[in-house]
Amino acid sequence: MSKVTTELDFFGLDKNQTNNAPKPKFKKTLDRRRSFREMQGAISKIDPEIIKSLLASGANRSESSTRSLSVPSTPKEDHPQIPSSPVHVPLSRPSMELVSGTVPMTIFYNGTVSVFQVSPNKAEDILKVAKETTPEKNKSMEKDLSVIPPTTLRSKLFDKNLEGDLPIARRKSLQRFLEKRKER
Amino acid sequence: MEDPDTKKPRSTPRNVDDVISLVIPYVTDARDRASASLVNPTWLRADSETREHVTMALCYASSPDRLSHRFPNLRSIKLKGKPRAAMFNLIPENWGGFVTPWVNEIALSMGRIRSVHFRRMIVSDLDLDVLARARLDELEVLKLDKCLGFSTDGLLTVVKHCRKIKTLLMDDSSFLEKDGKWLHELALHNTSLEVLNFYMTELTKLSPRDLATIAKNCHRTLVSAKVGDFDMLKLARFFNAAVNLEEFRGGALNEDPEKPDKYTKLTFPPKLSRLGLTYLGANEMPIIFPFAAQIRKLDLLYALLETNDHCKLIRKCPNLEVLETRNVIGDKGLEALAQYCKKLKRLRIERGEEDEGGLVTQRGLTALAQGCKELEYMAVYVTDVTNECLRTIGAHLKNLRDFRLVLLDQEERIIVADLPLDNGVRSLLMGCEKLRRFALYLRPGGLTDVGLGYIGRYSPNVRWMLLGYVGETDEGLVEFSRGGCCPKLQKLEMRGCCFSERAIAAAVMELPSLRYLWVQGYRASMTGEDLRVMSRPYWNIELIQARRVPEVDERGEVGEVEHPAHILAYYSLAGQRTDCPPTVRVLREL
Repeated sequence: MSKVTTELDFFGLDKNQTNNAPKPKFKKTLDRRRSFREMQGAISKIDPEIIKSLLASGANRSESSTRSLSVPSTPKEDHPQIPSSPVHVPLSRPSMELVSGTVPMTIFYNGTVSVFQVSPNKAEDILKVAKETTPEKNKSMEKDLSVIPPTTLRSKLFDKNLEGDLPIARRKSLQRFLEKRKER
Repeated sequence: MEDPDTKKPRSTPRNVDDVISLVIPYVTDARDRASASLVNPTWLRADSETREHVTMALCYASSPDRLSHRFPNLRSIKLKGKPRAAMFNLIPENWGGFVTPWVNEIALSMGRIRSVHFRRMIVSDLDLDVLARARLDELEVLKLDKCLGFSTDGLLTVVKHCRKIKTLLMDDSSFLEKDGKWLHELALHNTSLEVLNFYMTELTKLSPRDLATIAKNCHRTLVSAKVGDFDMLKLARFFNAAVNLEEFRGGALNEDPEKPDKYTKLTFPPKLSRLGLTYLGANEMPIIFPFAAQIRKLDLLYALLETNDHCKLIRKCPNLEVLETRNVIGDKGLEALAQYCKKLKRLRIERGEEDEGGLVTQRGLTALAQGCKELEYMAVYVTDVTNECLRTIGAHLKNLRDFRLVLLDQEERIIVADLPLDNGVRSLLMGCEKLRRFALYLRPGGLTDVGLGYIGRYSPNVRWMLLGYVGETDEGLVEFSRGGCCPKLQKLEMRGCCFSERAIAAAVMELPSLRYLWVQGYRASMTGEDLRVMSRPYWNIELIQARRVPEVDERGEVGEVEHPAHILAYYSLAGQRTDCPPTVRVLREL
């Protein structure tokens, strides 16, 4: 089995969700996020400690919380930010479908629905931890926690994916010139 | 019986093997050489010992020691690293393509190397130091073409140790500028420079006086200079000294509304025939009119001309063979080309900004096809196109070897009425029999599965293809790769297509000549398992993971852009990569 580098975007944690984040670039991305938000509720009821420990065990690398606004010379890895309290975030963008090894996981909990992109291993971890928590929590979780096969969600994601997610890229050299042109 | 180790040719060849050692030095085409080397060990040796140049389209296709063992007497190498998509900002900067192992091999066992060309690779100052010290005065050509990772210190080392260098190129490379010492060093000692290129670099610490000195010292040999954006007035001494200059690109024409005659006194070298002046505007255009008739190659990509300016200029260039510009040239400009530039061989029309106006549509392309029959290369970004137009191209441009069409995804104001382009594409491919390179970048609905099948069926000589947003379902890819289709296709790039991983992998297995595949935007399988359909010996499969990359948009705000995953697959004799960054995942065999 090949080594799966899991893109642990556990909560679809997106820098754009933090307070200081600038607006997302493409309007399409924004629209897509809004529609998914409608499908989910808050996950704030889940014990934050559970979330933190899962992220810590699975996250590839940690990242400083201050985000520099300069464009880095080498692109950074897609690091999930570990929150101090769980943040309500929507499903990450459909192109996550394209990352091998991860599959949408839907969690029904206490009247809320949330969808995350996880690998099969991570899904197992989540279920294990859910069972290991305190007896009271354990019982209610066992009752309500269900994992839904992603078939229906997938077809929606595919359709979204085909809507020209890839804008025509411009040559670097030409892009630089056109930016300079604006300044003249 | 001939002693097989004797390289000296005999005056009377005794057998075929003797003959081949006399003949093979004259065989220069790489494909012919490859065929000859397969005949028998003697022919293989004859080829090995006399091969002078090798181009590796992907540096990971083999290893440095294999190269030096196979061709011990190599004089010239060209290596390419990153996928072509890197020129469009789609590939992580640290993806790979490190020159270090190659430079080390050159230093160790390739003692005849005189010319080195690295394209889209990562080069360090240490690499340049090793290379410079290993080859010294024997290094004649160094091209760091769209490379990154070094600094002007590395350039200084090269210039210091390689005193007889004839070509020094760092076109469009990203490197750290510490000072202008390297240019000064060239000015002090070099008298053999023929080609100097630091075009598209952001160098600010260079002295125009050094440039003028170089021109003076190398006035006999200097034929091509592509420089950064020095103000053109500062280059006056340079132009006066470079009496044999044939090609110039760069400089900067910084218009001054209070001094409309700022550049009118500028004189150019008498043999100048290949030209590109940065920020050339309507006001400055007349300075090149005196010698416009001898211009064969014109670069207007970085000029500030409008459609009418293009027409005015084009009218004065009857000997134009190569033109590069943005789509502000418009249909009107193409009609002018068709009328005045009958010798046009290569045309590249890039995508400018929408506020520039000027649109290229079937109107301009049709006129072009009918007027410029010598065209061999045509790359255009269009806002509208018709089947009839493509048919006309196929009917008239019989010399076309390289055709690239991108249909812009302009906003709703422009409706492309004549889609799908199935029949037009078929006619074009059937008509342009010499076509070797083909790119078609459309939009959903632009080409049906049937059309994709046409591309497969009617591209007998095409070796490279870029397909963007073509086809409708996996069936299209099946048609494209059916037996007998694309027999010579070596390199396939696909973007934004709707095909599944499985269909892509299956198509790869059908294409007999395919040695390189790049795909961005496809339907991934649940676990990436479907890619294993194309598992086979020597076939490396890599994934560049989906990423979010910070980018600055038009408003100057920093946002994040999503980059979907890429598949990259290629044949390699060197095994799987061991130098991948975290964003690249190598698919290992089960």
